[in-house]
This record gives sequence, C-alpha cells and structure tokens, in this order.
Amino acid sequence: MNVAAAALIVVLATLTIVALLLAVGPRRASSIDFYLAGQRIGVVTNALAICGDYFSAASFLGVAAAVYVSGLDGVWYAAGFAAGFVPVLLFVAAPLRRFGQFSLPDFLGRRLESERVRLAAVCVVQVITLSYLVPQAVASGITWRLMVGSGVLGLDAYATGVVLATTTIAGLVAFGGMRGTTWAQAVQFVFLMAVLVWLAAAVLSDGFDYTRAVADLSQEPLRNPVAVDGDVRLETQDSALRPGTPARFDQPGARYSLTGQITLLITLMLGTAGLPHVMNRYFTSPTGREARRTTVWVLAAAGIFYTLAVMLGTAARSMIAALPATPSWLTALTVEGVLRIPEHALLALGRIIAGDAGLTIIAVAALVAVISTMAGLLLAAAASWGHDVYAFVVNRRATQHQVVLAGRLAVVGTAAVAAAVALRLDPTSLSALFPSAVATMVTWAFAVAGSALTPVIVLTIWWRGMTAAGAVAGMAVGGVIAIVAFLVALLEPDWTLAGLLLTPTPVAAPCAVVAAVRVSRRTAPPGRVTQLWARLHGTAADRHAERIARLTLRGVQAEDAA
Amino acid sequence: MDDQAGRDEFDSPAEVDAVFRTQRRIAIGYFVVFVGGMLLIPLATLASEWWEGRLSDWATGFVVAGAGLYVFFFVLGLGAASLANGVEQRMLGTPTDDADDPVR
Repeated sequence: MNVAAAALIVVLATLTIVALLLAVGPRRASSIDFYLAGQRIGVVTNALAICGDYFSAASFLGVAAAVYVSGLDGVWYAAGFAAGFVPVLLFVAAPLRRFGQFSLPDFLGRRLESERVRLAAVCVVQVITLSYLVPQAVASGITWRLMVGSGVLGLDAYATGVVLATTTIAGLVAFGGMRGTTWAQAVQFVFLMAVLVWLAAAVLSDGFDYTRAVADLSQEPLRNPVAVDGDVRLETQDSALRPGTPARFDQPGARYSLTGQITLLITLMLGTAGLPHVMNRYFTSPTGREARRTTVWVLAAAGIFYTLAVMLGTAARSMIAALPATPSWLTALTVEGVLRIPEHALLALGRIIAGDAGLTIIAVAALVAVISTMAGLLLAAAASWGHDVYAFVVNRRATQHQVVLAGRLAVVGTAAVAAAVALRLDPTSLSALFPSAVATMVTWAFAVAGSALTPVIVLTIWWRGMTAAGAVAGMAVGGVIAIVAFLVALLEPDWTLAGLLLTPTPVAAPCAVVAAVRVSRRTAPPGRVTQLWARLHGTAADRHAERIARLTLRGVQAEDAA
Repeated sequence: MDDQAGRDEFDSPAEVDAVFRTQRRIAIGYFVVFVGGMLLIPLATLASEWWEGRLSDWATGFVVAGAGLYVFFFVLGLGAASLANGVEQRMLGTPTDDADDPVR
C-alpha cells in the first residue's frame, strides 16, 4: 500500500470516528435527533456543514477546471453556484425552517395538507438525489484508481474505491445521523478550504502574479486540446459571441453564447433552493432568523471558496505552460503545455508545488468533498424514505425507534443502489467522459430541482391560493420538461439547441409556475390557511425557542455563580 | 414545538399578514436588484467597449465575475437578512415579551 492509499484510509477512518463520537446513541436517538440534530445546530456550524454538503468534487476540481479550459466563461459556474443562495435567503430559508420538519416533501405535505403532494415530492427528491449520488460514487472509484491503483479483497481498484467510500459514508450517516454528519461535514469543509488556502498561498509564494498571469494568458488566442483523427492537438477556439474571431482567456465567449450564459446562470441560481440535501439542513437551525443568518455565512464562505478556485484555475493554466522543462509525469497529461483533461488542473498544480505530497493532499481533499456531499444526499434519502414514506404511508403508527430504524435502513439501501449503479458503469469509458459525465449529471440535478421543486416551494410559501393539485401539476410539468429537454440534448448532441436544452430551467420553471397557478385556481386551498400562514410567516415559535434558550442560559449562569 | 409556542407566544392574523406583505416587498425588491446584477454581466458583453476595458491591469469583466460578484452577493444577503429580521423583530411580538426575562 502506498502513501496515498494510507492517507485516504486515515482520512476516511478519522471522519468516521469523529462522526461516531459525536453521534447520538443509537438506542436513545429520537427522530428529531437523528434527522434534525435536535434542531440545535449553531449558525456557523450549520453554515460550514451546508458548505460541506454543497461543495462537491465538481466545485472543488470542476470550477478550477472550467476556468482553466475556458477562462472567463468558466467563472459563470462559480458565479451561478454561489448565486443560488441569494434566492434561498430571500424566499425560502426562514419560512421553510419555521414550518417544515425533516424534509422538503414533509414541508410541502404539511403546508398543503396532502399526502399526494408528499409522495410526488418524494419521487422528485429521489431523482435529484440519485442524479447527484451516482456520479459522486463513480468519482470516488476513479479517484481511488488514479491515486492508489490497486484493490483489496479481490476487488479491482475502481470497485474498491466505490465500495470503500459508499460503505464508510453509509456507516457514518446511519450511526451518526444528522448530528454526527453535521460535525463531519463542517470539519470536511474546513479541511477543503484549508487546502485551497494552502495551495493559493503556495503558488503566490512561488512567484505567481495573478494580474500578470491573466494579462499574459489573454495576449494570445485561447487554444485547447482537440482530438482529430485519433491525434490530439491544440486548436484555437472560436468565440461563441463573435464567430470568426478567436476566444480569449479574460473575455467572454470561449464556451457560451449570450443566451447560453444567461440560461446557465438561471439554472444554477434557481436550482439550489430545490436541492434536498442542502435545504434539509435548514430544518436543523434553531429558528427562522438563525436560518437567514446561516445563509449569510454560507454566502461569505462561498465567495472566498470560489474566488480561490478561480485564481487557482488561472494559476494552473499559467504555471503549467510556463514550466521550463515538462517533467515526465506531466508529459502524458499535456499537449504543448496544456492539460488534456482540465480536471487535472488542481492535481497537477499540487504536484508542481509540493511533489507527491501535494498531489496526495489535493486528491484527499477531492475525496473528502465527494464524501461530504454523499453524506448529505444519504441523509436526504433517509428523511424522505424513513419519514415521508414509512412513517406517513407504510406504518402511520410507527414508534420513534421504528422511524429512525427505517431511516438507517434507507441510508444503507440508497448507498447500496448508488454503489451498484456505479459499479455497473464502465469506468474505462467513463474515464474518457469523467468529469463531463459527473458535471452533466449534477447539472441535470440542478435543472430538475430548479424546474420542478423551486417554483412549487416558492409559491407554497408566498401564495395563499396554492393547492395540493396545483403543486403536483407544477412538479409534474417542471420535472417532465426538464427531463425531456435533457434527454433530447443527450440523444441529439449536434442539434443547434442542444446546449440550451442542458439548462432548461428558464423555460421549465415558468411552465411549472403557470401549471401550478392554473390548477390551483380551479381547486380549493387548505381550509386552515390562516393558521398555516401564521406558522410560515409568524415568529411565535422563534420567540418561544429564543426565550427557552435564554432561560437555559440563565440557569447555567446561576449554577456557575453558585 | 409550535403548539407549545402557542401557549406563551402568539401572532395575530393581522400582524402576520402585515409582516408577510412587508417581507414580500423586501424579498422581491432585493431579488430584482440581484437578478439585475447577475444578468448585467452577460448583457455587458454586448457593451464590449466597457466590458473589454481595463481596471488597472485587469479586464473589467474578469474582476467583476471573478471576485466582485461574491462581494455583491454577500452585501445583498447581509442587507436582506438584517432588514427581514429587523422587520420581524419590530412588527411581531409584544414589547413586553421580555419584561420578565432580564437575560437579553
């Protein structure tokens, strides 16, 4: 076993131990403890955990890669990912926390007083969850194979990575529940940020000049590797904004037309509010006000994270090309000083800066990002299966213990399904696609979330007239349009509109709104809408929770004084 | 929790409705600014003279998209959260809520 393998195993083991130490005892865990960490997670801890949930390997390696390969056009991904939390803060965070419990389907089911809505939302949540989970499992297998290169217990390297990651994280989530997972994710994000800060500091101390690098890279037309007749060579990229002129690093157009930029931004902007694993974290905040404050911290962390990622993508483009002599390990990865696979940007940069140790640190960080996101996804799956399906449909008289057990079984089952699908995918062919396949599936998850869930959630919070039938219609129309558009884009990649169909939210979301409103106008809203409104937009529960917290603090201070 | 809350904390329907309308105005107002700021950047590509101009040694667009946007998001979020929380604090709950509670 080499150093990389040892490092990966140590990280996995450490995270598991941390989670288990912080976990609620399995026999004493209530469903509030298991799914919501007792709703006592502080603002900063929860913000870090949300970041751990949200910043997957696609964010860690993918944003730098996008900047590496397309300059300013790659920055739109970072901007869109960060922007998604502004609508969350404005429209969703506080009311969702005040009214919801456990999951997005639970929120919709309670607010609209309908089990049909709850089950429809569970279906959408499963599509989104698996769209995220499978590529994360694939990424863990590929990471292990790249870093370690050998398997254990008769499994090949790829399968070992998939099985090890899914088993470890399923164990962490099943035993740790939301409390253990929250702390593990917070620690993971701090580690991820520390790695980015270390790499940024290292490249700057190595003489990297950000301003000059951008200016130098923009002097020449942008050239990237292209396969022509089995041969890979650099070709100048045409600007999508001004056909016939070459694209440049610091100018828009290397990848997207004006319409493409806008649709990508809108898809990423609206998708976040419908991501179940991210939004479930808001239920763990003590109050609605704290949920808002948490989002402000997330925006700050996202800003730092993506600013560094953009800088490091630029650094990789500049420093790899400027190497006086290409080292042997880099020769196979590059064509005339440009990486064949842009996702190797941070890995190559780490190795240039700190040798094998640097490469290992970046690879471990990438795996940690994968694991952190998987944990959140498994918890979202546990909440929707264990709470929304088992406790509300299968066994309405379930005890707390049974609901928690159902959640734990759902974690194991979902992890097993994700691992099985990942193992059936051909890693060799995926290597050629990776992380394009990962990025594509993650974009699909955003598109489905933004098209099917976000419009319905926002209407449910802000429109008294929303009905259960309207919500189901909205989810169905938005989800179907998003999925069909995506499938058409995959089946007809050469079609002119294929690129736009990969980001269908600007069309699908308005259609979902129109469907939801039209159907709602023809059906009756819940009879208790005034009481429901008081819970959504009133602060009585918040004030009660704050008063209890103050009284508890008073008691502790009195004890200390005595 | 909500039931419990109802025993010693209460929001009247009229209060809730007033807060709801105020919060909706705040959210939509900030959202319009947010969308305007976001879409201004792709649309600025049409005004190429400005976009391709330079701030010191930087291309304007790269500075705005690579760093400036995150400051914009944070300031917008901080302003919206402070205003929304402040509105709730002022418009909901009676002033005597904490009269028996010296720990503030």
